[in-house]
Order: sequence, then C-alpha cells, then structure tokens
Amino acid sequence: MNIYEIRYAVQNLGKRKLRSSLTILSILIGITSIFALLSFGIGIQKYVDDLADEAGRDKLFIQAKGVGAPGTDENFFLAKEDVEFVEKMNGVNEIAGIYFKAAEIKFDDQKRFYFLMADVVDKLDFLEEAFSVKVISGRRLKEGDLDKAVLGYNYQFEDKIFKKAIRLGDKIEINGNRYEVIGFKEEIGNPQDDTNVYITVESFEQLFPDRKDKFSFVIMSAQKGVNPSDLADRVEERLRKFKDQEEGKESFFVQTFDDALATFTTIINVINGMLVLIAFVSVVVAFVNIMNTMYTSILERTKEIGVMKAIGAKNSDILLVFIVEAGLIGLVGGLLGVLLGYVVSNIGGSIAASSGFALLKPSYPLSLIVGCLVFSFLVGAAAGFFPARRASKLKPVDALRYE
Amino acid sequence: MLKDYAAFSLKNLRNRRLRSWLTMIGIFIGIAAVVSLIGLGEGLRLAIMSQFGFLGPDVLGVQASGLTFAGPPGSNVATPLSDDLAGKIRRINGVETAFNRYLESGTLEFNDRQGIGIAASVPEGENRKVLEVMINLKAESGRLLKDGDTRKVVLGNSFKNDDAFGKGIKSGDRVLLNGITFEVVGILEKKGSFILDSIVLLNEGSMTSVLGIDEKKVDVIAVKVKDQDRIAQVKEDIEKLLRKERNVEKGEEDFQVESPQQTLEALSSTLFAVQLFVYIIAAISLAVGGIGIMNTMYTSVLERTKEIGIMKSIGARNSAIFTIFFIESGLLGMIGGIIGVAIGMSVAYGVSIAGRVLLGSDLIRASISPLLALGALSFSFLLGSLFGVLPAYQASKLNPVDSLRSAK
Repeated sequence: MNIYEIRYAVQNLGKRKLRSSLTILSILIGITSIFALLSFGIGIQKYVDDLADEAGRDKLFIQAKGVGAPGTDENFFLAKEDVEFVEKMNGVNEIAGIYFKAAEIKFDDQKRFYFLMADVVDKLDFLEEAFSVKVISGRRLKEGDLDKAVLGYNYQFEDKIFKKAIRLGDKIEINGNRYEVIGFKEEIGNPQDDTNVYITVESFEQLFPDRKDKFSFVIMSAQKGVNPSDLADRVEERLRKFKDQEEGKESFFVQTFDDALATFTTIINVINGMLVLIAFVSVVVAFVNIMNTMYTSILERTKEIGVMKAIGAKNSDILLVFIVEAGLIGLVGGLLGVLLGYVVSNIGGSIAASSGFALLKPSYPLSLIVGCLVFSFLVGAAAGFFPARRASKLKPVDALRYE
Repeated sequence: MLKDYAAFSLKNLRNRRLRSWLTMIGIFIGIAAVVSLIGLGEGLRLAIMSQFGFLGPDVLGVQASGLTFAGPPGSNVATPLSDDLAGKIRRINGVETAFNRYLESGTLEFNDRQGIGIAASVPEGENRKVLEVMINLKAESGRLLKDGDTRKVVLGNSFKNDDAFGKGIKSGDRVLLNGITFEVVGILEKKGSFILDSIVLLNEGSMTSVLGIDEKKVDVIAVKVKDQDRIAQVKEDIEKLLRKERNVEKGEEDFQVESPQQTLEALSSTLFAVQLFVYIIAAISLAVGGIGIMNTMYTSVLERTKEIGIMKSIGARNSAIFTIFFIESGLLGMIGGIIGVAIGMSVAYGVSIAGRVLLGSDLIRASISPLLALGALSFSFLLGSLFGVLPAYQASKLNPVDSLRSAK
C-alpha cells in the first residue's frame, strides 16, 4: 500500500460527501454507544480495584447467612464468643465484630430510615482502612461518646436526605434518642453506604440491648505472610467446629475481600456485557450499510476501474484501494464516535455523581480509545472486502464498456 | 394511481436487488433486536409481577417503616408493630377482619441437608379461612393446617423437588426447623411464585411457643376490607388509628398501609425504567438502519436522475415523483420490518424455550402482544418513509432540463 492509494480513497470519499457522511454517521452511532458503555464498565472495575488496594487485600469478612441483604437478618448473627475464638487463631492480625441495624433517623421534624453501624472506637484505624472511609470533617468517635454520632457523606447536603443540610453540632434523633453530630465520613460513592449513621458500640448496645453481642458481620485481617484465602478456609473449619455445626450447615460464611469484590465485578461485567452486546447490533447494521455504500460506489466507478486496469493496475491494487476506502469510513466513524462517546459518558458520569452514584465514574484508558479505533477500522475494512473483491475481479474490457 | 406508483416502486427495488436486500437487512436486524428485547423484557416483567401479585384487590397490608427493600416484610424496621393493633383495626368501619402475620427466617433441615428460608404464620380460628382464601391456599397432597396443629408444617410446592435437599419432601416426612422436629402435613399447590412456592407455613401458636418468636413484634398486619370500592377510605381510617396508637404526627408516619396494587405499581415503574434503558440502546440500531435507507434512497435518486428527467418531461408532477420515491423507501422499511418481527419473535420464543429447558427458570418468558408486532411493523414503515422524505423531496425538486442533461 502506498500513499497514493490512501489519497485516492480520501478523494473518493470527499467526492461523495453526502453518502460518505451518512455511512460514517451510521458507524459513529454504534461506536459511541459501545465506547460509552465500556468506559463505565472499566470505570467501575477501576473503582473496585482502587478500593481493594486501599483496603488492603489482607482483609476477610465473616458474615452470618440469612435472608435479605447481607447482615440484616437478625435471626442469624455471629456471637461475641465466635469473635473471641477467631481472634485467638494463628494468622489473625486484627478483628472487629460489627453491629449493623436499620434505624429511624429524625432531623428537622423529618423521619428517614437508614442503617446504623457501630464504630469500634479502639479499632478505628483498622476499620477506616478496611472500609477505606475516613472522617473528613469534625472528629472521630472516641471512648465514652454515648450521645455523639458521625454521619455518612450525604447528610451534609440539603435536599439530599433531609431538606436542610446537617452541620457539625446539630442534634439528630436516632430511634427517639438525641445525638449530637460530631463528624462526617468521606464519600464512598453509592447512596446506600453514604447514608449510614455511626455511633459507638456502647451507645448501640444501650439503644438495642437485645442485640448485644450479636454481630451482623465480622471484619478481620490476616497477618503478614499469611495467605488470606488459606486463612478463610481455616477460620471456616475451626469456627464450624467451635459452633458445633456440620459441614454444609454453617450459619456463617467466610470471604476474603478479593472474593467479595470479584463477585460484585462479575455481576457488573455481565450486565455491562449484555448492554454492549445489544449496542453491538447497531455496529452490525452499520457494517451492512458500509457494504451497501461500497457496492454502490463500485457500480458507479466501474468505468474508472476499467481505466485503472487498462493502464496496468493489478487485481490486488484495486482490492486494496476499495478496502482502504471502506476502512477509512469505519475509522472516521470510529474517531467521531470516540469523541462523541467521551462527551456522552462525561455527561452520564456527572448525572450519576449528582444522584449519589459516584462509583459510576467513566474511565478512558488508552487501550479503550485505540481499541475502538482499530475495531471501527476493521469493521469498515471487513465490510469492504466483498465489494472490493468484486471490483478487483471485473474484466477491464467489460468495465470499460459499462454505461 | 397509488397502486401504479407502488408497483413501480416495487419494480425499482427488485432491479437493485443486492442494495435493497442490504438496506433491509439493516432494518430487520434492528427491528428483530427491539422486538425480541421488548418481548423478553415484557415477559420478565410479567413473570416478576406475578411473583408478587397473589393478593386480591380487597386486601391491605400494614407494615412498620424501615429499610423494607433489604429483606422480607417486617425485617429492618425501626419500631415494629405491636400485637394489639390488629384487634383495634378490626373495629374500624368497613374492615371485615384483620390479623397478625409473623414472617421469620430460619433453617430447615431434611435428609441431612440444610436450607435457609422464610417461615410464615397462619392465624388460628376464623381468620385461618380468610387467609386461605386471600392467598388461595390449596393442598396438593396431604392437608392444610388446622387449629391445634402444633409442630406441624405445610410446605410450598418447590420442596417436593429433589434439588433442594437431595430428595423431595412428602407429607408425613419429618423436618427440622431451627433444629426442632416438625411433621409435614401437606404440600401446597404450585403457585408459580417463588415466595409462595418456597414458603414454610406454621400455626401462629407453633411459631410463638415452639420456635419462640416474639409475638409482640408483628411483621405484617393483613387487613381484608368489606367493600373494595371503599378501600381508600378504610386505608385513611387505619392510618389515622395508627398515628394515634403510635403517637406520631401526620407526615411523620413510621408505618405504611399499602394495597398490593400500590406495591406492584411501584415495582412495575422501577422495572420499566430499566427496560427503557435497554430499549433505547436497542433502538439505536434502528436509527442506524434508517440512515441506511436514507443513503440507499439518495443513491437511488442520483442514479435515476435521467429517468426522473424523462418522467418529468412527459408530464409527471413533482408530487408523483415524490410519491414514487417515498413509497419505495417506505416499502424498504416495511419489508424489513416484517422480516424483523418474524425473526424477533422466533428469537424471543427460542430464548424463552431455551431458558425453560436449560435453566429451568420460569422467569425467562416471552410476551409479544399483537400490539407490539403491529407497532413494530408500522414503526418500520414510518422509519422508512421518514428517512425517505429528504431524498424523495430532492428527487421531486429536480429540474427536468438539468436532469436530462445529467451525465449518466
């Protein structure tokens, strides 16, 4: 291939502006939607990876089984003895049992229902690392804070949870008991976690005496050099024996942080993959359109092809010229599609962020951009193959005679 | 006259067989995608709705407020309902009866295997009959519960399958609920709802005395009204009563009184939002197909410039030329649409059959209403004609002299 062939292809596209631009438009639309969908998929993957890196891959969960959202079924729980038992096992670094329960939050004469979580004050460093959430304004909870609460990120804004924004020092009611707000946590990125309310363990036990020593889940870390999944297996086996349960009839399960995140990303990837597949249909249609345009183009230029052949163009030259032309249509469509897709995902991302889903943040790695461009070029070139082959097989005499 | 135009258009399409086919392929892929996705989506929505739609229009449910989406009714609430409320609700004018229901998660053991699920209480006395009618309970084998049945359970239909516990449970078998032995006295008829098909029913007495469930914390109060036309009034009266009983002001309720219909509507609108997003992405391919039609038509006009010139010079009006090209593009759209609907329907039904056979899932169903098929057909015709308007207009406005002189 040389520069003349490319120039010839560009000239031809320029001559048939309307048809070329319509064909380009058709591939553009498909590439736009695929690019936008993929950028979100990659963004979520990145968010999860960052989360895992921040929290550290040495963390494990022990969770009670049950019906409904994890940790919310009060008939299944992990007892204090369970935690104390696991704490003594080899390879366990830090461990904390977490209380978690739905509660009624009242502020400014409005009631809302959100989850209340107990912060274990002497293990806050560990918990902050595990959940990768820090207190961003005010202070953390400390020993003896019985009527103090730290709120999730979303409470700081008006019209998000309550009409008025809550400020440090404001009073709220949790299940009818007054608490002073002393801090806010940083943004986690989903409306569920950003609406949590945190109080101390003592305060939680006062509020719900019948939940004392019944943890919704337990979070722990493995010692340096200990493989977390090995530890998970060991904890599962030993705790099962400790609780005198048979295999397969445990009331709990142990999961490493990585496993938990992997489950989440698998679900996201499946959903995103389905959407990309649906969007891919439009690329197939665009493929057909490019093919159509190329067939038409060849029909129109039959005489031209005849002339080129008469002055010595080889079959392979003709083939290449038309494949390059079709590939260019794809490439230009891909280029514009990537640009438009970038705009679309940015708008989508900011809409998601403003409605509390900051985790839906698009990401545009170079590989995605290059991949989309190469893909669109290949789609174009492939669509151009059959028309180009027909053009290359034309007999010069017949082609010259064609009217 | 119009018939002649149509015949002429059809002939033109036939003359350019390859191009017409390619253009139509574009349309029918798009239509097939949209039809099959809408069909499957609608089927899924109906399937999900039928999971919850087992209560009649004369029933109200009272629940304490909380994070109710996170689990079965009654879990994750801030202040549970007390057990004296049902009696007070029963005295409200227009209420036929009201009774407490307890829903508890727990373990069920059989054949040395364990499962986790939800046990629901059946009230004793007269209200038993009411509940049986309300959710249309019938025993497929064995019998339903009766008063005085302690340590007896009735199980949902899916327990008779082998997959849950290695072998199916029959009436007469013994199972362990939270470690306590119960006798299975009956298996319910299949309902097609995973909630009812996997339920464990016990008498209220067994629930509180044998399993030790706190009877003061009621999960749901089921209310049956006398006259379903007055259900709104009864609902207001119940709300008034509960505000007084629970000492909360209007607008600050910590409970909800809902008819099953309302719950269904809320669920339905959420599902619809998700569906819509998928449809939009699928519809993009239709737009691409439409652009293909436009392209083909422009090319067609260009090729036939001379022909148009001749037609005009022998007296064809602008409107006639416009109609010819307009019908041609409409035909492209419609034929593409017919094939597309046919393919879309076979894909949707194929997937639903495959889902049933391979996954054994009732959730994958296809529901293609005649309206959907007809809608898709008229839409594809509309799409064709819409994208044909500009090229047809261009053709009709050609100057006869110039077009006769045109190179081809």
